[in-house]
Order: sequence, then C-alpha cells, then structure tokens
Amino acid sequence: MDFAFSPEHVALRRMIREFAENEVAPIAAEIDRDHRVPFETMRKLGEIGLLGVCFPQEYGGMGAGEMGYCILMEELNRVCTSTGTNVGAHIGIGAMVIHLDGNEEQKRKYLTPLSRGEKIAAFGLTESGAGSDAAAIRTRAVREGDSWILDGGKVFITNGGYADIVTVLAVTDPTLGGRGGITAFVVETDWEGFRVAREEDKMGIRGTSTAELVFEELRVPHENVLGKVGEGFIPFMKSLDMGRLTLGAACIGGAEMALESAVRWAKIRKQFGQELAHKQSVQWKIANMATEIEALRSLVYRVAWLVDTGQPFTQLAAMCKLYGSEVASRAIDMALQIHGGLGFSRDFPLERGFRDARIGEIYEGTSEVQRIVIASNIFREHSVRIRP
Amino acid sequence: MRIIVILGRVLDPSGIAVNRRVGRIFINREEYVLQPADRCALEAALQVKDAAGAEVVALPRGPLPDDDVLRQALATGADRAIYLAGDGFKGADDGVMVRVLAAAVERLGGTDLVLTGATTMDTGQGQLGPRLAEALGCPQIINAWQVSVTDGKVRAVLQQAADYVAVEAGLPAVVTMLPGALRLRYPDGVRLVNVYKGVGEIAEALERWDVADLVDADGLRPLLERRGRDFPPERERGSRVTGTPQDMAQAAANALQQRMGR
Repeated sequence: MDFAFSPEHVALRRMIREFAENEVAPIAAEIDRDHRVPFETMRKLGEIGLLGVCFPQEYGGMGAGEMGYCILMEELNRVCTSTGTNVGAHIGIGAMVIHLDGNEEQKRKYLTPLSRGEKIAAFGLTESGAGSDAAAIRTRAVREGDSWILDGGKVFITNGGYADIVTVLAVTDPTLGGRGGITAFVVETDWEGFRVAREEDKMGIRGTSTAELVFEELRVPHENVLGKVGEGFIPFMKSLDMGRLTLGAACIGGAEMALESAVRWAKIRKQFGQELAHKQSVQWKIANMATEIEALRSLVYRVAWLVDTGQPFTQLAAMCKLYGSEVASRAIDMALQIHGGLGFSRDFPLERGFRDARIGEIYEGTSEVQRIVIASNIFREHSVRIRP
Repeated sequence: MRIIVILGRVLDPSGIAVNRRVGRIFINREEYVLQPADRCALEAALQVKDAAGAEVVALPRGPLPDDDVLRQALATGADRAIYLAGDGFKGADDGVMVRVLAAAVERLGGTDLVLTGATTMDTGQGQLGPRLAEALGCPQIINAWQVSVTDGKVRAVLQQAADYVAVEAGLPAVVTMLPGALRLRYPDGVRLVNVYKGVGEIAEALERWDVADLVDADGLRPLLERRGRDFPPERERGSRVTGTPQDMAQAAANALQQRMGR
C-alpha cells in the first residue's frame, strides 16, 4: 500500500497552488461581490492545459487522471468556491459525458476545444420537475430525418448563461422513460431554438452563472447523439458519480481554507490575557476540523485511485460528496465562530465561505440523494432493491 | 542561438515556521522550489527565446540530490536539461561548481548567453554568475531587471537605488537576474505531466552527465574546507523600560549614559 502522490501529481499541485494564489485568490471577493463570472480565469486555466486535466492528451487534455482533477478542485476551492464550481461544471460533468460516451469524431470536435478552454461546457440534466428524481425529465426529442427536434428546458444549469456547448438529456421514448427512453445530445448554444431564459440570483457561489435554458424546436443533427439512442441516462449518471468524487475534493479545499484561517486567527487574537490558541474550546474545534479534513482527504484520494485504476466507485463517490459537503460546512461554521464578530463581517473571507459551502449539500445530488445511493448499494448486496 | 540557464532549489518558505522566541526554524513540510532569482533567469531565457528564437538548456546550480528543478524547467519551456552528478561532486564549493559548469558549457559546444539568478534566497550566494563569466572569459552583467537580445548583443536594464540603467554587452555573456524582476509564466500542463512521468519526447530532453567526464580529480577538489561550526557569542539581553513616554525616554537616556561610562 503506497499513499504517496506520484511525482507528476506533486508537481501539478505545486503549479495549481501557485496559479490559485496568483490568479484566483486576488479576485475571489470581487467576483462574489459583483456577481461576475471570471472568464479571464477560465481562459488562463485553458491556456496552461488545466481545463483538460483528466482528459487524454490526444484530445487536448493533460492526461493527469481523476487524481489530477481532484488536486485541481482541492486547490481551486481552497481560494475560491465560485471558480471551483465553474471549472467543475465545465470539466467534471459538461465535458465528462463527451469523454465517457462520445465517439471519436465527437471527442475530436468537442472535447479538444473544451480541454483547451476555447469552448466552455455545461451539463443539462435538471428540470423544474426533475431534480433529485432525474429520470423524470420532460424535455422531448423527436426524430426528423437526419436530425432531432428538441423542445423543453432545463433549470439551475451551472455555466448555462455563457456555455458554448451543453450536453443535454432528453426523452426520446416516453413509454420507456429512464430504461431506454432517454437520450443524450451535444448542443451548441448558438443554434437557433436555444435560449437562456434567466439567471439565478444566489445566496453563494455568486461568481458562477446558474441559468434556465429553453429549447424551442431546437434542431440537433443525429451525429450529435452521445452514445446510443435511448441509452443516455447511464453516462449522465456516471458523470455525476465522478462529479461527486471531485466535489468531495473541492470540499477538502473549502475546509482547509477554514482551518488555516482559524489557526491564523487563534494564534494572534487575545482575550482574557491569552491567545485563543490556549483556550480548550478553540483547540477542540481545531482538532475536530483537522481530523475530519484528514479523514475526507484519505477517502477522496483513495476513490480517485479507484477511478484511475478502473475499479468500481459509485457508492464511495456518494460518500465523498455526502461527507465532504458536511465536513466543509462544519469546518467553515466552526472557523466563523472562532473569528467571532469579524467572521460575520464581509471584510473576512469566512462570510463568503459560509454562503458558498451551503450549496455543497445541495447541488449534483443532495445529501439525501447521496444517502439513498449509499443505502441502495448496501441493500443491493443483500438482495434488497429499495425505491427512493 | 543557445541560452544556458543555471537553476538551483530552495526549501519552500511556506513550509517553514520561524519561532523567534526560541530562535529556531522549524521545517513543517520539506519541499523544495526553484530559487526565485533562478526562476527569473529561466523566464528571461524563455522571453529571449520567444522573441528571437533560441535553444534553452537548463543546468543545475551545483550538486543537487535530484533533477526536480530541471524537470520544472522542461515543463516550463526549456528545450533540453542536463543533470550533473557523480562521485566527488557532492561537497562542491563555488570553485568546483564553476569548473564543472564551464566544462559542461564547453562540451555543449559553447553558448551565446548564460542566465542565472543574481542571488540565492537561503544563503545569499551571488558569485556563481560572475565567477562563471571569468571562467568562460566573457562579459558579465549582474543584477539585471530586464534582458533582451538584439543584433548579436545582450541588452539589460539594471535597477539602481533611484533609477534604472541600460547596459549592453557582446555575446557570449553571462547575465544574472534579480528575484521578482519578471512576471513568471506557468508550466504547460501536458509537458509537466510527461516530463514527470518520463514519457514522450520531452522526457528524452533530460540527460544525465557524470562530472568525472567533465573535469579531472583536481577540478573536483574544493578550495573551501569546512572544519566545524561556530557562532558569535550570544548578545546581552536588553532591559525593558516602562512608564510614560517621558519616563521611558529618561530611563533610556540614563541607561545609554551608564553604558558609555559617563
């Protein structure tokens, strides 16, 4: 058993940390305040290859595996959850479906520019009537000669307001539903019939675009069907599995930021004639945070290793996201408490961290859905099939 | 045009904690990064390459336990890197380093420009560049802030106390760069992964030379011999004065008078 990162992953982390500290951290507060998507950061990340971190080199990627991608997410989220979310929606779900299920031609045409950041991707799954119950989507795709006509819409689509490419799930056979009736498509957002209806005004991750998309007689060529007709649900769910792992990695970053900040403050803040570091109430919080972060780190990087070595990981990825989002929320809550009134002030990054952390327990499958996934995997091993 | 960059490493300062009370440095995380001034030298070399076209060759700043700095240089855009190792190189002083590096330059078939850091972050060492220039018999420009090559000449901007001075020298020349002089580029992701994995063309650009093939036993004998360590005697502790500003000023004045024997 070897827990060491490989030399390329050590070097990659050093490069990403430097990038995050120089390019991402200085504008993190500003993009949150102004509700602005940092396009320049996406462009810079693309230029040095980081937006293709886990994709093969023949499609413009870096070939650093899920391990490399987890490192990217940890380091970006350490300084800015919004940037981490933009990158996660682009690589981890939007482009990931093309990587997992695209054919040679589709990968060459779409994955290559996505890896280089020349185009930005979004992942179109959620609908107003289909959140946790993803198979309940209503967006309809009807075959017409060499193309498909899409009608319907998606909500809460991260990167939706500015993406160039959206991978969309639509119903092609309503009688079959999730079992053979749902197909995945690659949609270019400048096609006629595609429209961004509105963008959400959110509590946190305000440096991201969360949009409602509308498709009206949107014509998609048949060559843009991802995988086989009727079998789009599985690769989408598989992308979400990978996305859950990397969200766990993102949560390590958020929690680390909170811990570092709390330790720095406890070292200098004096009350009752003593630094907070000497107070047991503070020490215990710090010890709890550090322990949970280490447990999360061990889980996340082990699952990344499972993915890179081709082993099953669905249940563990759900644990990464469930545990990760709760560890991050707890860590930021405790760090904020240690900072007292200043933690509540917008002058300190914890206030932003607190708002940003909340979404972790909701997006890409709520904590409740993660528990369903974990429990159903456990019961399946005992021949019990549970229904959500 | 060939540019040689000489690169060294330093303990990552973010992994170090200084405890002033006990007067000690604690190493929390033993990781090494490129010497900041050497990184500027690498950036300067790549800028000259971008502007005028050149082959950038990275060499190590003396004996290093691994070739990490050279891999970083290749990932960032250097064309070739040569790791220098071998028996007798470990205890090298600046004299040995200069002899080995000069011999390596000769074996490469000469160079048009040598770039390295003006100083090291940990030991404040600044003589490698000037001494190498002497050994190669070429002009030297030290503490440069900007570098460019035009019409067979190297031009540099030096920062002085109150202003900047532009200087130029014929090629070949040695130029040392100040830390923080240039905006540094990031490594390229694909090159980085391949050079650390040891796959593809870029991995073949990293060579390993034995110093014994470059200089003889005399050349490897350091002039500097370390016989032990000694520290200056500990200074007397001062005393603290308290009270109103006037009281404190008076107490300080009295103490000074006493010290001076009046």
